[in-house]
Amino acid sequence: MENIAFLPIAPEIAALAGAVIVLMSAAALGQERREWGVAGAVALLVAVALSVLQWLRLDSLESARELAFSARGVTSAVQNPMVVMDRFSAVVGVAVYLVAFLALVGNWRLVETLSERGAEYLALVLLSAAGLHMMVISSNLVLLFMGLETASIALYVIAGFTRTERNSDESALKYFLLGSFASAIFIYGVALVYAGTGSISIYGSAGIRQFFSTQPVAVLDVGILLTGIALIIVGLAFKVTAAPFHQWAPDVYQGAASGSVSLMAAGVKVAAVGALIRLLMGAFGTRIDDWAPLLAILAAASVVIGTIGAIGQRDLKRMLAYSGVAHAGFMLTAFVAGGVAIPSILFYLFTYVIALVGAFTITGIVSGVGSGSSAFDDYKGLNERSPWVAGTLAVFMLGLGGIPFFSGFVGKFAVFTQAISVGYLWLVIVALVASIAGLFFYLRVVVLMYFEDSALAEAPGTATAAPRMTGGSGSVVLGTAALTILLGVVPWPLLNLLRFVL
Amino acid sequence: MSFPTLAVMVLLPTLAALVVALVPKRRPELVYPLSLTLSFLPLAMVGYVLWEFEVGAPGYQFTQQVLWFEPLGISWNVGVDGISLLLLVLTAILFPLSIAASKSVAKNQKMYMVAMLLLETGMLGVFVALDLLLFFAFFEITLVPMYLLIGIWGSGNRVYAALKFVLYTALGSALMLTGIIWLGAITGTFDFTQILDATITPTQQAWLFLGFGIAFAVKVPIFPFHTWLPDAHTEAPTAGSVLLAGVLLKLGTYGFIRFNLTLFPDAAVRFAPWLASLAVIGIIYGAAVAIVQPDVKRLVAYSSVSHLGFIILGIFAMTSQGITGGVIQMVNHGLSTGALFLLVGMIYERRHTRLIADYGGIAKVMPVFAGLFLFSVFASAGLPGLNGFIGEFKILLGSYLRFPVAAVVAAGGVILAAVYLLWAYERVFTGPIVHKENSKLIDLDRREILIIAPLVALIVFLGVYPKPALDRIEPAVEEVLERIEQATDYTVPEFGTPEDLANVGGGQ
Repeated sequence: MENIAFLPIAPEIAALAGAVIVLMSAAALGQERREWGVAGAVALLVAVALSVLQWLRLDSLESARELAFSARGVTSAVQNPMVVMDRFSAVVGVAVYLVAFLALVGNWRLVETLSERGAEYLALVLLSAAGLHMMVISSNLVLLFMGLETASIALYVIAGFTRTERNSDESALKYFLLGSFASAIFIYGVALVYAGTGSISIYGSAGIRQFFSTQPVAVLDVGILLTGIALIIVGLAFKVTAAPFHQWAPDVYQGAASGSVSLMAAGVKVAAVGALIRLLMGAFGTRIDDWAPLLAILAAASVVIGTIGAIGQRDLKRMLAYSGVAHAGFMLTAFVAGGVAIPSILFYLFTYVIALVGAFTITGIVSGVGSGSSAFDDYKGLNERSPWVAGTLAVFMLGLGGIPFFSGFVGKFAVFTQAISVGYLWLVIVALVASIAGLFFYLRVVVLMYFEDSALAEAPGTATAAPRMTGGSGSVVLGTAALTILLGVVPWPLLNLLRFVL
Repeated sequence: MSFPTLAVMVLLPTLAALVVALVPKRRPELVYPLSLTLSFLPLAMVGYVLWEFEVGAPGYQFTQQVLWFEPLGISWNVGVDGISLLLLVLTAILFPLSIAASKSVAKNQKMYMVAMLLLETGMLGVFVALDLLLFFAFFEITLVPMYLLIGIWGSGNRVYAALKFVLYTALGSALMLTGIIWLGAITGTFDFTQILDATITPTQQAWLFLGFGIAFAVKVPIFPFHTWLPDAHTEAPTAGSVLLAGVLLKLGTYGFIRFNLTLFPDAAVRFAPWLASLAVIGIIYGAAVAIVQPDVKRLVAYSSVSHLGFIILGIFAMTSQGITGGVIQMVNHGLSTGALFLLVGMIYERRHTRLIADYGGIAKVMPVFAGLFLFSVFASAGLPGLNGFIGEFKILLGSYLRFPVAAVVAAGGVILAAVYLLWAYERVFTGPIVHKENSKLIDLDRREILIIAPLVALIVFLGVYPKPALDRIEPAVEEVLERIEQATDYTVPEFGTPEDLANVGGGQ
């Protein structure tokens, strides 16, 4: 027993234990109890705390810090480690579990309305969170795949959870079919990489990283390896909703209950970008010249297709789905700079999901947590009905749009600086023009809320007359809005912190 | 560390906005007096800066540099020279007047005032920023409150105008941001004063000049980037039009002097003939279109296109007189066009129409209004003895040295300006009263006269005695020109001595 270090997997243990406890006690004591929600939230908070503990423990483990992205700490001496614990996995863990926590608390009403199935829902949330983090702590590619599947399958079920809505069924089925397809592509890529390198472990003395740094170039079986890397990128591009692998996102987000989309959109994005960083910078870092052009094309395609797609939308959730494609593209632009870009990418990622969770929470407030669509009509004249809801949504829109003094601007600046530093000027120009075009649809939401009169009188829809924040959703929305402004004005504490990841 | 004067000056309006935002909902009557009072605080700070500013001292004053974020090289780096000083004064004067003119805003007045005060922070910030990213941040943030001002409190086609305004200017700034990041990658810093010492190759300069130049050209606006301006000016509420014309457009001309001329001298020399040509086209085109406008506000808007053409011509003549004239004309245009927009707003509040055809002969019922309007028209047309004359004269003088043909054609614009302004005056104010609604119009009350009075005083002051302003501008302009001469083989053409020219301009 003493050979096993539990700390690297402690957050997963907390989340999974929470899931088991909730399910078991619900079976014994009945589903309809609010305590299960509290238990789930507590489990997620414990996971956050354990991730923080990992970070702090790493500080005392090491004194020297080299400027390379490598896994260090408890597993580095092993030949084929299964998991790694480094500052990167710790900080992504904080983000994943925190997003899950905010998604849960911000949509507390969903847990209440699900009543007899509330415990199941909570178990699925905890399960998917654990799976998502597993993608980032895995050193073993098969374990990474298992994390991906654990999270995905839980999320497929969540997407179809509101069985009474027809869109929800469509959403779940579409998500499942396309998701499985992407998983298959990913695992095929892993198989090819295994064939090329003889290893399925990223780190360790027999790992892929070691293989690339010791083998002379001529020995590398380039065809198989490059195909493998490309397939792995495609598989993960599906999860980060990079174009052209993004088509599922708008339908799935629109079909799933508003209250569950935060996790689906933000949580998955954090983990998938994290896994992409782990694989590209960690495992295939030395092959950057091979994959960087591919990433640049993916990035350019994503910002252009995402932006154009978002312009035509009449539903806030669909609009956010397409804007998420563009944001994935913005993050991918920095990948071309290699490992040094990781803090910038993470900063962008975190500020993006903070604003995204806030915005999705508002779709739950305005259109109802159980409802699928969140049509623009619901937002007409919102300022007069609920000035606080309108004000915070305006903050999120300005943040996502990248207006100075909001977090999105600093994030964009950080990633574009990285891309320019390695000479990808064309990519940055494409991205900047797209980001300006993006202002069009972010500001249109502001137009709806502030410039137009309420449409509810003519067409009473699902929206309530005057959406109110509850304790849970209110604190999530106000907290994320405050962070969106704060990280735009004083970004350096977070940026400095993230630099320790290197 | 010395007292952070400029930081306080820039942040005061934001603090004021917070105070106004905290006014409870059931006391809406407090919003207007409170905002008006608070808007005098930045003016007091600018007054202090103006007082303490050392005339003729080289470089920037009141400088303050605090490292904001080291890994990205962003710093809070501010300072004032003679050019920015005058624009600060203009900004700080126009804001209280615009707020005073917004007493009758009915819809959500609190939010309106908050937007106005936040806008002031952005505009003051632009003129003091000496860090490229800080500059960009302030430059870009002004869009948001202006967008709200046009979109919420505008008239008629406001949503379209607001969006057009934002997208045009934002597209320009995207190119500038690319330029800024690239410049940062080349020189390793965003600090303006450090970039001055860096070497940038002519090819790089040309691209950077274009990147920055398009952003500023949209803002100014230089023909053919001007199409957003008539819409935005016309649909904006009175205060919005005043600030758009008075200050926001100057962000572009200021940017040209501060960045394009100073940082990329080689490219500036190369592109100057092109910009001068576009400026002349803008002067004539703007004036010609203004003549046929049926809408008073649109007429003033197009007159701005023409006037701003003069400023660009002066700047890219790259002579001492030209640039000095351009800078003083920025202030003059802010004062006279500001006064015109305020006056148009006052008559609009009474009759709710801006069409020239709906008026006629109203000088009989509103003599004070007519007098002030005629005065502003004269100032705008450049009547000797009023401020516009000094600026236009210096610009024409300066540009004649470099581009004689352009100067001659541009002088035609001065005549056209007299045509469209005086003809509009004639149709609105003189003759018999055609529409009987106009016979009951009430003349300006004391508050309205008080709003216009400071502008009238400044117009006369700068027209009769521009020396204090010129003394502050000229050293800064000389520094810019010296830098261009050092960096390129361009020599500034001159005739006579600067003292002679100051005298020609109506000085001592």
